[in-house]
Amino acid sequence: MASVAAALRSVGKRAAPGGDREDGDRMVITPLGAGNEVGRSCVHMSYRGRAVLFDCGVHPGYSGVAALPYFDEIDPAAVDVLLVTHFHLDHAAALPYFLEKTAFKGRVFMTHATKAIYQLLLLDYVRVSKASVDDMLFDEQDIHRSMDRIETVDFHQAVEVNGIRFWCYAAGHVLGAAMFAVDIAGARVLYTGDYSREEDRHLPAAETPPFSPDVCVIESTYGIQQHQPRDVRERRFTEIVSSTVSQGGRVLIPAYALGRAQELLLILDEYWSNHPELHKIPIHYASALAKRCMAVYQTHMSSMNENIRNKFGCSSNPFNFKHVESLNSIDSFHDVGPSVVMASPGGLQSGLSRQLFDRWCEDGKNACVIPGYVVAGTLAKTIINEPREVTLANGLTAPLNMQVHYISFSAHADFPQTSAFLGEIRPPNIVLVHGEANEMARLKQRLVSQFDGTNTNVVSPKNCQSVEMFFRSEKVAKAVGSLAEKVPNVGDSVSGLLLTTKGFTYQVMDPDELRVYTRAQLSSANITQRISVPYSGSFEVVRYRLNQMYESVEESAVQESDVPALVVHQRVTVSRDSETSVTLQWSSDPISDMVSDSVVAVILNISRKGPKGVRAEEAARTKEETERMAHKVVHALMVSLFGDVKAGQEGELVISVDGDVAHLDGKSGDVECENAALKERIETAFRRIQGAVRPIPLSAS
Amino acid sequence: MGTSVQVTPLSGAYGESPLCYLLAVDGFRFLLDCGWSDLCDPSQLEPLAKVAPTIDAVLLSHPDMMHLGALPYAMKHLGLSAPVYATEPVFRLGLLTMYDHFLSRWQVSDFDLFTLDDVDSAFQNVVRLKYSQNHLLRDKGEGIVIAPHVAGHLLGGTVWKITKDGEDVIYAVDFNHRKETHLNGTVLTSFVRPAVLITDAYNALNNQGYKRKQDQNFVDALLKVLASGGSVLLPVDTAGRVLELLLILDEYWGQRNLKYPIHFLTNVSTSTIDFVKSFLEWMNDSISKEFEQNRDNPFLLKNVSLIINKEELEKLGDAPKVVLASMASLEVGFSHDIFVEMANDTKNLVLFTEKGQFGTLARMLQVDPPPKAVKVTVSKRIPLVGDELKAYEEEQERIKKEESLKASRIKEEELKASHGLNAKASDPMTIDGSSSRKSSNAGSHFGANVDILIDGFVPPSTSVAPMFPFFENTAEWDDFGEVINPDDYMMKQEEMDYSMMHGSGDGLDGKIDEGSARLLLDSTPSKVVSNEMTVQVRCSLAYMDFEGRSDGRSVKSVIAHVAPLKLVLVHGSAEATEHLKMHCAKNSDLHVYAPQVEETIDVTSDLCAYKVQLSEKLMSNIISKKLGEHEIAWLDAEVGKEDEKLILLPPSSPPPPHKSVLVGDLKLADFKQFLENKGWQVEFAGGALRCGEYITVRKIGDSIQKGGAGSQQLVIEGPLCEDYYKIRELLYSQFYLL
Repeated sequence: MASVAAALRSVGKRAAPGGDREDGDRMVITPLGAGNEVGRSCVHMSYRGRAVLFDCGVHPGYSGVAALPYFDEIDPAAVDVLLVTHFHLDHAAALPYFLEKTAFKGRVFMTHATKAIYQLLLLDYVRVSKASVDDMLFDEQDIHRSMDRIETVDFHQAVEVNGIRFWCYAAGHVLGAAMFAVDIAGARVLYTGDYSREEDRHLPAAETPPFSPDVCVIESTYGIQQHQPRDVRERRFTEIVSSTVSQGGRVLIPAYALGRAQELLLILDEYWSNHPELHKIPIHYASALAKRCMAVYQTHMSSMNENIRNKFGCSSNPFNFKHVESLNSIDSFHDVGPSVVMASPGGLQSGLSRQLFDRWCEDGKNACVIPGYVVAGTLAKTIINEPREVTLANGLTAPLNMQVHYISFSAHADFPQTSAFLGEIRPPNIVLVHGEANEMARLKQRLVSQFDGTNTNVVSPKNCQSVEMFFRSEKVAKAVGSLAEKVPNVGDSVSGLLLTTKGFTYQVMDPDELRVYTRAQLSSANITQRISVPYSGSFEVVRYRLNQMYESVEESAVQESDVPALVVHQRVTVSRDSETSVTLQWSSDPISDMVSDSVVAVILNISRKGPKGVRAEEAARTKEETERMAHKVVHALMVSLFGDVKAGQEGELVISVDGDVAHLDGKSGDVECENAALKERIETAFRRIQGAVRPIPLSAS
Repeated sequence: MGTSVQVTPLSGAYGESPLCYLLAVDGFRFLLDCGWSDLCDPSQLEPLAKVAPTIDAVLLSHPDMMHLGALPYAMKHLGLSAPVYATEPVFRLGLLTMYDHFLSRWQVSDFDLFTLDDVDSAFQNVVRLKYSQNHLLRDKGEGIVIAPHVAGHLLGGTVWKITKDGEDVIYAVDFNHRKETHLNGTVLTSFVRPAVLITDAYNALNNQGYKRKQDQNFVDALLKVLASGGSVLLPVDTAGRVLELLLILDEYWGQRNLKYPIHFLTNVSTSTIDFVKSFLEWMNDSISKEFEQNRDNPFLLKNVSLIINKEELEKLGDAPKVVLASMASLEVGFSHDIFVEMANDTKNLVLFTEKGQFGTLARMLQVDPPPKAVKVTVSKRIPLVGDELKAYEEEQERIKKEESLKASRIKEEELKASHGLNAKASDPMTIDGSSSRKSSNAGSHFGANVDILIDGFVPPSTSVAPMFPFFENTAEWDDFGEVINPDDYMMKQEEMDYSMMHGSGDGLDGKIDEGSARLLLDSTPSKVVSNEMTVQVRCSLAYMDFEGRSDGRSVKSVIAHVAPLKLVLVHGSAEATEHLKMHCAKNSDLHVYAPQVEETIDVTSDLCAYKVQLSEKLMSNIISKKLGEHEIAWLDAEVGKEDEKLILLPPSSPPPPHKSVLVGDLKLADFKQFLENKGWQVEFAGGALRCGEYITVRKIGDSIQKGGAGSQQLVIEGPLCEDYYKIRELLYSQFYLL
């Protein structure tokens, strides 16, 4: 699929002038799922050669491969880190598939509570969907294997993986829910996942990060809707429940096994405690899964809010419900008289909640309370609109007489929360995900008008539609060690090794100190080479021949007294070690290697042929000759480059290009020209020609 | 150039006194730990008293007396008021340790150095951090980042990393590199060449055996005594090392199905374990994994009974049992009492799992040979009776009267003041609501006060006919009637929260066990009776090292690995400190300091460094080569200035050619393997690598030591032949040429 680029220009940082944008400075954010939809959250982000995947969920409305995010849009092998915000299926359930069935080899992180519940939830998911789905994405074994690869991270704990720094904040929503902040080379992205800024009975409100991220990827589930105040919702809920049961009806609460269910049970349990007249009416909680997860809820007190922690401190665990009985299956449920049953799944797709719904939907005394967000395509979504008839699980149609109430306890942010949250952290770029197209469009509009005039970009990409942003981050290097003994003045030159760590920090240092600053991971090396060349003639001959061949041949100063030795070009030492050979010693670098090769050639040639060198006086004469030759070559090459080149006086060249005239001094290379661009070009050309024509300077300072 | 850093030990230097150090980073003053010994001698804190008010932040590293014991006292009496930073377990367990300590003291003396309220208020302002959380300090400490890291030793134990301008100061005392039954090993070794490392020399002279063997010896020793009908006392700390012992015992008892009872007896044992149960994420990987997979919590402790008073223990009589009781020092607490009872019987064993603090009973018993008899003071708190009670009541009455008088005066003034300011705030309902909550906590200390008509409302003593304050509600009227403020009718979120909080009692820091609460709230007047007695020490005494600290050898290797630029040694006997100092100074080039108490040393880094910006133009011309985790390139640049900052620009003239640099780290063994794979005949001969028939490759020079500067020196030699050039080519391929 062609990805449409909704190019954004970063506002917070200096935007790059068009044209020379580096690929490395481009951040690409692509929703692989949850783009203009709710479900299968999965957002891919890449920047500077690093790639992060946020969440990895399935779409509850589809089954099999169709429920997966569009993984084929990305290269799983290139993803460095996968961050899972919370345990809900639409955020975590594609993880076993991604880990086991793709080339992904990066690391996976989630919070402790999320990991503990993730396993239980997915095992349950596999068990439930086995009954109804043919093409299973993964099995129990895949889940168990995935547990070994998942690493845990605590709230606020900073982790660095391959230059990607990330940490998480509490997000409310469900136990262990987190929002992740990622920092790659100074560019910060905040991915909220599902969050709620309202404190409820057991969860804390989402934290507000104390910094302004460059990009905020935020959920838009509730668009511009506004929640009723919590107490109103709670009262409505308890009133509906109590009036229904007092009239002899049954209340069905379809809810996801974990998350909101615990909150609702806390409400019901408290209400029952305060209303003794209700004590004979049972509250059933039909989830073996939730029962198993109770241990997790009872342990991860530190992820909950102060209120519940204090209760924990003072009395028995608040999650030991007094009036709630758990129910294992529909067979053990004695359906006589009024009762309250909370059953999963929340969407009434299948399972116990569906069985009870089918049984109860025709009786007008009964009520169904839908306590949270329902995903499009599920039966729960259908009945919210109160149709006359519904299709039962067995395919028959039945009239819907049951009362249907929709009270959102869903811990997602509503518009006032979203707007306040964004208003506080003020990200220059906002990417909306996890919301239905219409809701999202409305939210986008509201946000655009809210942040009008503040250079804020709001985008709502569809699945697989990439958002591109450019960041020109400031690169600051630290000069360390002997190189930094004094702070340089303007105009001084600095030379040394530039070391870039994987965390995108830069250091400039002397090559010899490389070992110190990389903790012995890297070091510079010197390779000394010693080669013995068979030669049995007189060393005097060698000396003579070398003198003829090279500009600089000196007697060695440091060699032992009785061994004659010569130093060629201050690089290669030639010494007479034994009667039958001479030894060459030098320290490796390309030029020395070249010199030594030629020295070897000279020595080998001595034994083969008679002397065939150039005389000294010739050498003196040739100097002028070379100068002339060089000048000619320079002239010829300039002609080939610029066309109209005339020789002026004293080796000066006059170059005219498109009316601009430049004077080039053939010796010094000075150029006089009005046109700066031309001047620079001629200078460069001259420098290169000189480099080609003249011998390589041998002294390296 | 660098950040200025000074260290001043306030206690715990050249000796094993409690840990307390002052660290100044660019003028920002950290107090590193705030320890007190079990003796609670205020004179120990004199150096701290001098500087306490100037402290800007307190960092706590472990939840035991030696690391945080003096905190409540210092907050209350020495003017320490800085924010305190600690991990969640250090906060919780530290709080419980202080509770336990106070209660143990209070039971045997009229302890008045600090009260439970002081403990609460000292811990109220603790900022709780997670491991690896980078916390940015504000205001005065702008630019300083502190981060706790895993230290091992105790649950929540912390190695503090304090970073300013890229320079790290690491405070790592009592760390343990070994993974234990409930804790992970420290991550200290992962730090990269910090500017300063402050560590202890406590264990520099000790060496430990293998953990598994040690555990086995420990259990064997216990079983031997139990089998012969004796009991075992393990004097332990409140919430530190005891957790490890409990796990070892619980596991072993479970495996062997042993029936001997194990008791964990402190004033706060049940809440300790309750909290510990919810701290799984702070423990080692296998525990959290076990929980994630199977939801098994090892701290359910199936074979250990948690008890909070001695009566329960006494019910069991003389049957063989294992008792873990606080304090480890035997100075006060249950362990003291039980020791007195058990010492007389030769069958019994008192097993010390940690070195006793200096000057305590435990230390006295740990000398070799152990003393035949020790003098102890046995004290008991008994309720007052008869005349004493009467006198006490009269005294209380008088105090109460004075207090109420004072309170009423204050209240009166407050009332006046608040009435003048804002009629709304002094709504009688508000007064009642806010102060009754406060006094319900405090009230129990005073008992019921008859003068108080309604909680929190005290009639001015000057008034002749006391009555409730009455404020006329002046309503505003307009054309439509009384002006309504819609806010008055809003359902308030807070109210609901109060109702939810209802029943949670004192909200502060959770719970003190019922027993302790009884002790505390028990307002029955009482007094302390003590008598000195001499106890014959007939029971066997043993010491096994379960302190969970790295031993001398490991400390040395950890220091060598971390390779700080400057090392500060604290907390260790004089010999140990000197030993470690000599060792470190001899084996590496680092600067070692071992300051005395109240001696300030300056460990400002003399490392040169400056920051420059890299211009876009320069960077676009640089081609980096990737080498493992790093990328390197040769840089030639010219310095410029932009916005007052140095910036590197591309050189204006062609730079002079530089000496070429070969980068890479060649290990001869690897190179041998490499050549063998290429089909060469390679062997090691006399430290050199013989390649083929004639060519040798050698490494020379000793600058290759760990962390040492300089570059590697390699020599390749051989006669002129084709092989020579081939080998050289292969050798070059191991390096990057810049």
